[in-house]
Amino acid sequence: MTAVLELQGLTRSYGSLTAVDHVDLVVREGERHALIGPNGAGKSTLFATVAGTLRATSGRVLLNGRDVTALPESARARRGLLRTYQHSSLFLGCTVLDNVALAAQRVQRVAHRFDRPARRFRRTQARALEHLESVGLAGRAHDLVSALSHGERRQLEVAMVLAAEPTLVMFDEPTAGMSAAETERFVTLLEGLPRTLTVVIVEHDLDVVFRLADRVTVLHLGSVLASGPPEAIRADEAVQAAYLGAARTEDLFTGGAR
Amino acid sequence: MTMLQTSAPAPTGTVRGPRPARRGAVIATAVGVLLVAAPLVLGAYPVSMMTRMLAFAVLVLSVDLLTGVTGMPTLGQAAYFGVGAYTAALVGVHVTSDGAVQAAAALAAGLVAAAATGWVAVRARGIVFLMLTLAIGESVHQLADTWSAVGGSNGLAGMPPISVFGAALPAAGFVYWWVLAVAALVFAAVALVARSPYGRTLRGIRDNEARMRALGYRPALARFGVYCLAGAVAGVGGALWAAQARFVSPGDLGFEVAALALLSVVIGGSGSLWGPCLGAALVLLVRDSLSAYVGGHGALVLGVVFVAVVFLMPRGLAGLARSRRKEVRS
Ligand SMILES: Nc1ncnc2c1ncn2[C@@H]1O[C@H](COP(=O)(O)OP(=O)(O)OP(=O)(O)O)[C@@H](O)[C@H]1O
Ligand SMILES: [Mg+2]
Repeated sequence: MTAVLELQGLTRSYGSLTAVDHVDLVVREGERHALIGPNGAGKSTLFATVAGTLRATSGRVLLNGRDVTALPESARARRGLLRTYQHSSLFLGCTVLDNVALAAQRVQRVAHRFDRPARRFRRTQARALEHLESVGLAGRAHDLVSALSHGERRQLEVAMVLAAEPTLVMFDEPTAGMSAAETERFVTLLEGLPRTLTVVIVEHDLDVVFRLADRVTVLHLGSVLASGPPEAIRADEAVQAAYLGAARTEDLFTGGAR
Repeated sequence: MTMLQTSAPAPTGTVRGPRPARRGAVIATAVGVLLVAAPLVLGAYPVSMMTRMLAFAVLVLSVDLLTGVTGMPTLGQAAYFGVGAYTAALVGVHVTSDGAVQAAAALAAGLVAAAATGWVAVRARGIVFLMLTLAIGESVHQLADTWSAVGGSNGLAGMPPISVFGAALPAAGFVYWWVLAVAALVFAAVALVARSPYGRTLRGIRDNEARMRALGYRPALARFGVYCLAGAVAGVGGALWAAQARFVSPGDLGFEVAALALLSVVIGGSGSLWGPCLGAALVLLVRDSLSAYVGGHGALVLGVVFVAVVFLMPRGLAGLARSRRKEVRS
């Protein structure tokens, strides 16, 4: 299998603070790759740098073997590299349907058409509704996003990013703020996604991590501490040793969550 | 979760009263009928006043397209309104009295002027964008004020009465009907844009431009597009203004006009299309008619109205109607 995403010495600094420090990482096609690490490890910064929201201080980002480090965020998105945000980033003044349709209509190349009303673009509407259905929000399609609960917004975020038809999607703590039932729905949805889609996920809930992931990377102080199959990470002494004071790795990850 | 789903809220507005959409259609029809019938019952002065309101409302629509739909508050649309008015007047003086040709020429001129000046402005956002559009407006105003080919500060007079499809319009009422027809057409076109996928893109930019980029959009492109569209709309408004006044002066594209247009959007409720049109009528009424009754302090009245609106009904007239509808429903 080929590498969908490859990071080579990726570094991102905020002034004197190096939030992401020479990260090398390979994510293969179809992989479910979990990225874990304590608060402030640099996970969100890594996502933002890979997505192109933040410029890399040094290093390279390769997408399907092509160097995209110089490309702006929108160009990377058009190449199929999408992400969700740790703190919901939605279109609050628009309807729930509009939010998802914005993603769908861009992929279908009708985002700049104004020859007929949006509801007459049946393919876009159908695709958007389909994705809303998959996260259980179809009944709220015509409500304003500002009327949604926190958990529902998290679900909407998932529907929106999937409607953009990514080849690689990075979820930043998608289940934070979801109820247990919503989390379950999300995990089931992710398990059902086709393997043509590659997933990188930052997640504090280790149950979710070990259910989904077939590879886990541990980030600590901006650097990769360990990377490998879940069982190996669970047993890894370096991972445990990095967090002196806690009896079990789990406690550290979940205990420090948000 | 599944339980939550089955108890999904019933579609709103089905229980009591007519559906909002149907009520909206009824009101729209009534307003349309009243507007069409106005010249039959009103005198010449009110009709010419209403003609100006309609032309001004077209300008306000263009401001709303930028400010309300796309989230780009602007003070530059009066410039394109003026470009349209001067173009129509020049066509009227030198080429043809055909109103449709004048409007088409004004549309093209507004579009081209917006395209030529807008590509710089749309790179900026918020207050910087507002200042850039203000600068554009003032520059065009200066140009009109000093360029002798368009009459300089004296303005451009001598425009013959417009004709429509070869027929001269015998009375003020006919000019009004022509302006009403074109304004309605523009309203429909802007409404279509607002409801289209492109309109959705624009609202997305208004709400969260960074997220649009993350979804793969190039917001700068869409912003430039709508800026050109708004320029074209304002241009048509200018042609309608000229058709009624048959005289264009630099004052028609000054800062005051730009500010009043933005004020109309705020009063009407930005983002709604009919609200700002109502706001336009109100603002022009205060400036041109009530001003005489308050000792020429029309601007002061408008200032007070503005402050009152911002504090008492932040979503304007449209917001007022919306909240009333909600009360009725619940
Ligand atoms: N905009 C910023 N300016 C300066 N420093 C920042 C900024 N954003 C993050 N940091 C710092 O960079 C480091 C990494 O932050 P980041 O948000 O990437 O961590 P994280 O692993 O996502 O943490 P969490 O689990 O809390 O989400 C932290 O020390 C943080 O304080
Ligand atoms: Mg984070």
